[in-house]
Amino acid sequence: MIDFLSAFFTSPVMLGALFPALLIAVVTSSMSMMVLAHRLSFLTVGVSHASLAGLGLAVTLSLPLLPTAAVTAVVIALLLALLPKRQGINEDAGTGVLFAGSMALGVILISNANSYEVDLFGLLFGNILTVSEQDTLWISWGSAFVLFSLMIWARSWWSMAFDMVTAKASGIATSRLRLMLYAVVGLTVVMCVKLAGIVLTTGLLVLPAACAWFWGRSMLSLWLLSLSFSIIGTMSGLMWSYQYDWPSGASIIVMLCLCFLFSWAGAWLKQIKSR
Amino acid sequence: MTAPVVHLSHIRFGSDKKPILDNLSLEVEAGHFMGIIGPNGAGKSTLLTIIAGLLKPSAGHIDLFGKCLNSRTRQKLQQDLGYLHQAQSNQPDIPLRVYDVVAMGLSSYHTSLLTRLFQDKKHEKDMICHALDLVEMTNHQYADFRNLSGGQQQRVRLARALVRQPKLLLLDEPSAALDSRHQEKLYKLLRKLCDEKNMTVLMVEHDIAAITSYVDSVACLNKNIHYHAKKGDTIPDEVWREMYGDHVNIVAHDASCIGCTPVAHQPTHQSSHEHHHD
Repeated sequence: MIDFLSAFFTSPVMLGALFPALLIAVVTSSMSMMVLAHRLSFLTVGVSHASLAGLGLAVTLSLPLLPTAAVTAVVIALLLALLPKRQGINEDAGTGVLFAGSMALGVILISNANSYEVDLFGLLFGNILTVSEQDTLWISWGSAFVLFSLMIWARSWWSMAFDMVTAKASGIATSRLRLMLYAVVGLTVVMCVKLAGIVLTTGLLVLPAACAWFWGRSMLSLWLLSLSFSIIGTMSGLMWSYQYDWPSGASIIVMLCLCFLFSWAGAWLKQIKSR
Repeated sequence: MTAPVVHLSHIRFGSDKKPILDNLSLEVEAGHFMGIIGPNGAGKSTLLTIIAGLLKPSAGHIDLFGKCLNSRTRQKLQQDLGYLHQAQSNQPDIPLRVYDVVAMGLSSYHTSLLTRLFQDKKHEKDMICHALDLVEMTNHQYADFRNLSGGQQQRVRLARALVRQPKLLLLDEPSAALDSRHQEKLYKLLRKLCDEKNMTVLMVEHDIAAITSYVDSVACLNKNIHYHAKKGDTIPDEVWREMYGDHVNIVAHDASCIGCTPVAHQPTHQSSHEHHHD
């Protein structure tokens, strides 16, 4: 075990991946509380798949991948926030339409690019082991922005999730804050793509808070638990990935799913015991 | 002379053909406790949401605390307003302590986490405890809000509306989930807040008999104010029939009841002013 840990922590590939992976774990665990409270799981699915259009654009126009995908994701998230309200269709259907349309556009754009330019498997399922210095810098700035947003608006977002009507009647700018929330969720989704890929990103934005939901009693306790589950899942997932040469993103998601199962079983047993 | 707390002038809401509120005018002074009654679909909740600044009327003018309510002034005016909407059946499943739910009613709750480091939390705590004390929920302040009964949750929501000590309190069927003992306590509390704190309360209720000894006046609403009965006034039978239709049977309460005609041969203390024929 000690040999394994020593090999893991001295591996240059893993050392390069550890910082961005843990940074993403901190950001996603914090945002996952808002995703669950505002019931935005499907939005994260939609935005992550729609970001393929951004990646396709970046490949076609030779633009930097992550920033282009981030701008696309934020624009799509804002459209999803605005479109249903303006056009009288529900958010669920709006997400479905934009999700399918932009994913289709992404597939067409990427299929026209040279195959050696695009690591399609990496885009779909993530590969933090291939993270570049530029990607790390980009993830760091993105994380700083998301965490700063949370420091400013977390309590208002929380209050809106609990009771939107009363929050609005209290004099909070709920429409503006909702747009900010969607934009920050869009940005977080793109940051996760490097780690978990388009297909698995939702897991990172749902599972940490879902594990904590059974035990949290306040925003602070929920955040601390969510952060703990996220870091445990990320570290153990990366170790699994290193040990068995499994894809890193999928290993982390499987580990978080196991955490969820244990957490759920624990809560269930506690409930039975208290009867 | 001080401006009225609420001044509504020719308010209209909804489509031209089927308006929900039509040509509604109303003035309420500080410290006044008004009950609003009316049949389902009469526009009672819509009226409260318009006064709360959540809906914009199609026509008409609203002044709150002497200032025009519009998109520029809305957030500022809402600082002096407490609003309790109808209890929802699909409550969000969010882990929250009762204390935190009440704290959400304070403006300081919505400041950034950085600003909160330098805030006076003692004053905030005192205000929350006072609000919880008013609704007799102090013992539950650390309980999980989701585990409370419907009536307890309603009392916590009321504490959230009261915690900022608003000048105007808008309540939409606040007694819906409460038992009769807590209903009476609620009305007594509201009466006390009007008398001692000069708070103005507009409360939508269905049961006029329950509120009549506490309120200063009762507004009969069905698209507009059909009748505004002050203490000692009698609501004419035709107003009841106009609002609820011909199928209601008017019964009398005691002499102090707003809008009631004391009738010698009628038994006193009926449970409700309107009786539907089976």
